[in-house]
Formats: sequence, C-alpha cells, structure tokens
Amino acid sequence: MSVTLTDLPAGHVFEPITFTLNAGAARAYRDAVGDTLNLYDQFGAVPPLAVAALALGALLEQVSLPPGTLHASESLRCRARVPTGATVECHSVLAQRSLRAGWIVSVLETEISFAGRPAVAARATVLSPAPA
Amino acid sequence: MSGPDVAPVVRALDQAMIDAYAEASGDHNPIHVDPEFARTTPMGGTIAHGMLALSFISEMMTAAFGERWLRGGALDVRFRAPARPGDTVTARARALEDKDGRLRYAVECVSQADEVLISGTAEIGA
Repeated sequence: MSVTLTDLPAGHVFEPITFTLNAGAARAYRDAVGDTLNLYDQFGAVPPLAVAALALGALLEQVSLPPGTLHASESLRCRARVPTGATVECHSVLAQRSLRAGWIVSVLETEISFAGRPAVAARATVLSPAPA
Repeated sequence: MSGPDVAPVVRALDQAMIDAYAEASGDHNPIHVDPEFARTTPMGGTIAHGMLALSFISEMMTAAFGERWLRGGALDVRFRAPARPGDTVTARARALEDKDGRLRYAVECVSQADEVLISGTAEIGA
C-alpha cells in the first residue's frame, strides 16, 4: 500500500471493493465485540456494524491511515438486512477534507450494497495529526 | 409518543479484545494495538477502536428491535472520549419523542466513571 488518506484530495473516489461476508468473518467479528445475540443466526444476518467495519477494513487495504488517526463521528444507515454469505460491493469517496486546530479532518462516505440493493450507508469523520 | 425501554449492554474492555477487534476488522492502527507507539501520543496509551465501542450500541438496539434494526436502523454519533483497556463500557438509550413515524433514542456509551465516551441518536423505522 502506497497511499495515505491525508495525501488524497477531497472528492477522491476509491476503487470499488467487493468481498463476501462469510460466516467465519462474521463470527470473528461477533466474538471480538462480545456480541452473543442469537438473532443473527435466526435471521441468517450479519450485524450492520460488522458490514461497515469490514468494509472499512477492506478500504484500508487501498489506503493507510496516518498513525494516531482518531475516529471523531459516525453516521450509519441500515437499508436492508445483510445475509451471511452475501457478496457486498462498497463504493467510497473522500467527501470532505479540512484542517482544524492541528488536525487534518477527513470525511469518508461509503455505500454498501448487495445483489444490487443498498444495504448500509456509512459516513465517518476521522482526525489525523497534521505534520508539524 | 416515544419508544419502549431498551436494556443496556455492559462490556469490559481489555487489550486482548481490542487486538481481536483489530484482527477481525483489519484496522491495525497502532493507536489501538501498539502500546509503545500509543504512549508517545496525546492519548498516553492504547485506546479501543471507536467502532468497537459503537458496536455495543448497535448490539443493544438489535436486542431491542431485532430485524427492524437490521433493516432500518440509523445511528448518528460523536466519539467524545476514548475507551481504554480496563474500562467497563455501558451502552444505554433513552427514548425521545417519535419523529415522522420513526422511534428515536438518545444513545451513549459511558465508562465506569460515567464519562461519556460516545453520544448521539438512534432511529428505527416502522
């Protein structure tokens, strides 16, 4: 990986990412956060935050975050239940970039869909230390 | 009108949990997983991923609303303070007035010292 988030201009469109939310990845996520609800198994569904988190993880294979980057805010919209085993497509854009009080502020917007249907929309604001 | 009560979720955080989250999510930012690096930052030590603490709110809403949350939930939150290894985090919700047919809640995560770590709103469609 050669690109750092803070090197990219506002409006940068990331390469679309496609990955499959297999049962193992969903289980590893639920184990990590300690979520033992049976509902997901009843519905055959992946937690919506897992969908967003795994999409972010996949995006981090395209772009690195500067060390010390912090998550400032998050908006999440669930549009459809995402089934375990779904292959999802993620479209991300660096929607905004600004400099504030020694921090580089980046706003990442991601639309996640499966089978051509919107599933989860996420908007994350992250703060990266500005170079001295 | 306002929505029904929602049971809180309480979870103890430790470094092993943060490391497991990093592995599961693919987010290996050293502020979360590298104690030596984290000590050199204004945080003074490792902190949990914001999305890890936020997952407790989503879990709380899933437990309360099931499929309605999975197919129509919405969260808008700010990360106010970091959750650290050793913290016990409580996610809780307080019903607000319904809006446009959607249930609305003020949601937050607080530490064992009642410090607000995350605050915002959650909405659930009909």
